[in-house]
Amino acid sequence: MKRYFTDIYESVSSILGGMGITLMHLIKARNDNVTLQYPEEKWPRPERNIGFDHNSYNVIRSRLHVDMDDCIGCLKCERACPVDCIKIVTEKAPVRGEDLKEIKHKGITSNGTRKALVVTRFDIDMSECCYCNLCTYPCPEECIFMTGGPNAKKHPIDYEFSEPDRSDLIYRFAKKGAKEGLAEMNAKQEAEA
Amino acid sequence: MTVDYIFDFLTGLLGGFLGSDYLLLASMLIPCLAIFGFITIYALIVIYAELKVSSFIQDKVGPMGQGVGLHAGKWGLLQPVADALKLLLKEDIIPSSADRPLFILAPFMIFIGAFISFVAIPFGESIIVADLNIGLFYILGVGSIAVLSLILAGWASNNKWSLYGGMRSAAQIVSYEIPAGLSLIVVIMLAGTLNLQDIIKYQEGGIFNWIIFDNPFVPIAFVVYFISALAEVNRTPFDLPESESELVAGFATEYSGMRYAFFFLSEYANMFVVSAVAAAGFLGGWQSPFDGFMSTPAWSVFWMISKTGFLIFVMIWLRWTLPRLRVDQLMNVCWKVFLPIALLNIFGVAIWTVVFNS
Repeated sequence: MKRYFTDIYESVSSILGGMGITLMHLIKARNDNVTLQYPEEKWPRPERNIGFDHNSYNVIRSRLHVDMDDCIGCLKCERACPVDCIKIVTEKAPVRGEDLKEIKHKGITSNGTRKALVVTRFDIDMSECCYCNLCTYPCPEECIFMTGGPNAKKHPIDYEFSEPDRSDLIYRFAKKGAKEGLAEMNAKQEAEA
Repeated sequence: MTVDYIFDFLTGLLGGFLGSDYLLLASMLIPCLAIFGFITIYALIVIYAELKVSSFIQDKVGPMGQGVGLHAGKWGLLQPVADALKLLLKEDIIPSSADRPLFILAPFMIFIGAFISFVAIPFGESIIVADLNIGLFYILGVGSIAVLSLILAGWASNNKWSLYGGMRSAAQIVSYEIPAGLSLIVVIMLAGTLNLQDIIKYQEGGIFNWIIFDNPFVPIAFVVYFISALAEVNRTPFDLPESESELVAGFATEYSGMRYAFFFLSEYANMFVVSAVAAAGFLGGWQSPFDGFMSTPAWSVFWMISKTGFLIFVMIWLRWTLPRLRVDQLMNVCWKVFLPIALLNIFGVAIWTVVFNS
């Protein structure tokens, strides 16, 4: 008989205790919630350091980027790539080291090299890229680099690269309309000559 | 009666154009449509509330409708609408080996059981569809149609899970009607009537005249009624008939689309009915908690709905707090705990009334 009443007491008190806990969670839901509203909110970028100095070593291999104004089209990065995810097509410039305003081509790099070639295609397929960073070392103009690390100021670091379509992961760095513009210029020159 | 009022009004308005038979039909249909609209809107609100309360209790945010493209509005407000649309547009599947007429009949019956209970629920001094002199008894009796339709659904589906669900629901609802009825007898003893309007009028005059504060035995009766009602409407922790972890969906396993929506809707409608009976029987119904203050007809509807809504919130709260009972525990609680307590309560209230109130 005593057991009967203690059982009732215990069940009632434990139910009330449980309801108290759930009520506390209900009231504090706004502060305690663990859901990340993904497209609007993102986890903060992790601070990483693999032992080298953060400033001297490009630790965060976030995404390849190319400054097309400095690229001379030497294909060294394309050859260095172990997975062949870089594809470059170049054409001879009409005059070496001169700006071509029609296709926004810059004749002289920031290192002072006079360009002989116009890069009409510079595609990097980031879905194939293995983030080995091997393409950045041979570059004579230091125009291909991983965003992040010392370059973090230049380009915001991203870690997701989420795109609605897989083909959107192929980043096309060459200036738009460079190929058509160059062909047009060549045709015009031939007509004049 | 409301039907008579509407009939008189329509006769005064359209008496020259239509025969009295059509007007009588129309005056009967208008309250039906009003109740149906009320149930639908109420179900949408409660489904949203359930989604949000359950998420907050689990430290989540619930439907939020963020991001690009088609989404569920601000704070996910359109989520119940989307759910309803989905249920409406889904394919209606009837298993080839099911008992076709019974299978089709079951969702209608359960919805009728929930629907006609609303007839006797008072929302104000004159805001009631039918002021029955046995209103409480009527609601209790009509609520039992649910058992029949759940067994029907379980049997007609020709599926072992459905049959188990139907059997469990029969055992559960029949058992729990006894403590629920016995604890409502306390109310009937104190108010001396089965008429819900008279029961509510008995509780006139502020919060301390409510039946729940009448004597120390009534709160126990209220708790027993509330938990039994929870079992009657198959809500967690008593959702054995549709326990999704054991029986897939119990009696609703084979139902899809609109027919499933009827089961869903009638579960929520039944929640409202049992909460409204608890509110009317114990918490003063449409009476304002402050004597004579905020007691116009509009306020009376507000008080009735807010009291009922609070009890529905407690149901949702309990659902996300407690785990499901086992079948033997369910029967133990009913026959070994609630029944003796409810019987003793009747004695206690009777003695208290004789000693202190006479």
